[in-house]
Amino acid sequence: MKRLMTRENAIRWAPMLVLIGLVILFTAINPAFLSQRNFARIAIAAAPALMVAIGVTFIIVMGSIDLSMEGTVGLTAVLFCFAFLATGGTLAAGAWVAIPLILLLGALIGLVNGLVHVRLRIPSFMASLAIGFVGTGAAVLVTGGDIVKIDDDTFRALLTWRIAGFPLMIYVVAALALLAWFIQSHTTLGRNFYAVGGGEELAHASGLNVRRVRIMGFVLAGVFYAVAGILQVAKLGQAESVSGANFMFISITSVVVGGVALWGGIGGIWNTVVGVLIVNVINNGMVVIGLPDFLQDGMLGLLVILAVVLSTDRRSISFVK
Amino acid sequence: MSTFIKDYIERETISRRNFLFASAAGLTTAAMPGVFGAGMARAATDPALAWSYRDRASAYWNAIVSGGEAFTESIGKTKEDMTSLINEGSSEKSLADIKAFLAKNNGACAIACDANDSPNARPVAEAVQAAGGYVSTIWNKTDDAHPWDFGDNWVSHMTWSDEKPAEETARILFEAMGGKGGVVHLGGIAANNPAIERLNGLKNALKDYPDIELLDAQPADWDTTKAAELMASFLTKYGDKITGVHCANDNIAYGVMEALKAEGIEGMPIVAYDGNPEAVQMVMDGQLLATVFTNPHWGGGVTLALAYHAAIGTFKPSEEPNEHREFYGPTILVTAKDAADFKAKYLDNVPTYDWKDFWGPSNGQIVYK
Repeated sequence: MKRLMTRENAIRWAPMLVLIGLVILFTAINPAFLSQRNFARIAIAAAPALMVAIGVTFIIVMGSIDLSMEGTVGLTAVLFCFAFLATGGTLAAGAWVAIPLILLLGALIGLVNGLVHVRLRIPSFMASLAIGFVGTGAAVLVTGGDIVKIDDDTFRALLTWRIAGFPLMIYVVAALALLAWFIQSHTTLGRNFYAVGGGEELAHASGLNVRRVRIMGFVLAGVFYAVAGILQVAKLGQAESVSGANFMFISITSVVVGGVALWGGIGGIWNTVVGVLIVNVINNGMVVIGLPDFLQDGMLGLLVILAVVLSTDRRSISFVK
Repeated sequence: MSTFIKDYIERETISRRNFLFASAAGLTTAAMPGVFGAGMARAATDPALAWSYRDRASAYWNAIVSGGEAFTESIGKTKEDMTSLINEGSSEKSLADIKAFLAKNNGACAIACDANDSPNARPVAEAVQAAGGYVSTIWNKTDDAHPWDFGDNWVSHMTWSDEKPAEETARILFEAMGGKGGVVHLGGIAANNPAIERLNGLKNALKDYPDIELLDAQPADWDTTKAAELMASFLTKYGDKITGVHCANDNIAYGVMEALKAEGIEGMPIVAYDGNPEAVQMVMDGQLLATVFTNPHWGGGVTLALAYHAAIGTFKPSEEPNEHREFYGPTILVTAKDAADFKAKYLDNVPTYDWKDFWGPSNGQIVYK
């Protein structure tokens, strides 16, 4: 009989155990935490963040980093609203066209991001940060600092129409997470991300076109950021240039907390899903148990360190940069 | 965001421009800023105009800038004659930009400025005084720094007292709640002055309503997304006990409404602050009970007008009484019964202001506690 409590198993399941532990902790302090309605609230808060986190997971698995999410989400959200209004203002009137249009735009921003990184040989950290600034700047430019609102009940059904207690957007996000898992596990591209992250030189020597894989990774991430932008509009009914604010912190924290290693090659979509849930459960739980607001940021930081300690295998790493 | 990158680009642009000037003049050495600038030629009769503020990403600062531009056009110049010094939330950049602007124009400047945070107002005023320019400030300054301690150069300071208007919105909210029940407050960034004052206003009103309980008050950082998530958490914690919501600004109210919409909760009494066009429309539609307008367009225009007219000698600041040097800006409460009139008067058509009526719409001298 195989031993269940191997070290590998412990690390694989650690993020899940951290999540369950947090749920038990918060429920013990305030039983209202453990209710279907509250889980729906956490899910709504987590939905756009999960799309951003999944996008950046592909990049982090390759051992790179993408910091363009705030600009990309802000710009796609704003342009989605403009496109939606310009094509009729309601889904029924033909404004659904805005959805593929904005996904394409997300891909395009990702493509530029990837090209700047690969062709100009600028580290992904700097290239993506710069593209993010361009995105935020462009969003300020097109909105002039104003808010753009969408008032279509059919589109807003993503938030207001509930199936088994959860809004429609949660099912959309779940389906897209499955799609991301499929790309990761069952396509050549997905496996190539791991090849690049596990050892770029080896992958290159084996005949893999590493530069192409990197660019494709950024394109894919861009599409997921665009989905986040659209969901952000579905959630709030409006977009502005700062609609993408805070996504950088929350997505990268979630990915790392979930057990995806920043040095690449380790972890994947399910780690990210669990990581996003952990961060959102903490955010919601701290208010629900009545933790004073001046302690919340500090507590979030401590819990993040704890989760990373428990959920990543650091013994095999000789040094951490 | 990245002030480093912006600073770098600006520095490079300026030194490149100086190099080109120098080359054109047949000189090979780079020159100090100002030597080839227009500064020497420009007397105090035509001071260079600038507005130093946070960013262009909000309706509030856009309205401030539109006021500054309206004033600039009123004296026969073009919008472009007013320089925007954008500090991106950095006090260091705010001060550095103002010093560079003073140097470029040899001190012949009229500057309007929000110093970004309170301690930065003093170094800004000192830099302007040392260069012989004129500055009028809004919002941020420490209680111990006063324009009258800086001769004529720190012309005036205007701020808005939010406590009283926030108390009025709270009273409107409590009346709508029938004088009983539970209220939650979603605030701004905890350390911001307006956030503190708006919560204090709510607490003042609570004293007269013993049957209303303040269930919770937490910061939502002026942010729509954060407000929606915080409101959702409040609903888990307090559920039906929440019968009214007091928001520190309009953006927070938008997030609260969406959190309630997600739960199918309708008709919750909500009040907001800032008087943004969307919020005024919501007051007209009955989704919001009240918001408060601080007339940023007028504030942006008159602040620059004060600095300009002091610079050209229309009035001598040191001869003005203290209530003309430190004063409160106007606040207008917008409720369902006056929202339509308000919208027609202030939003649909921006009124044409007399920019020489410096103190008419203001609200009395600043009082320190």
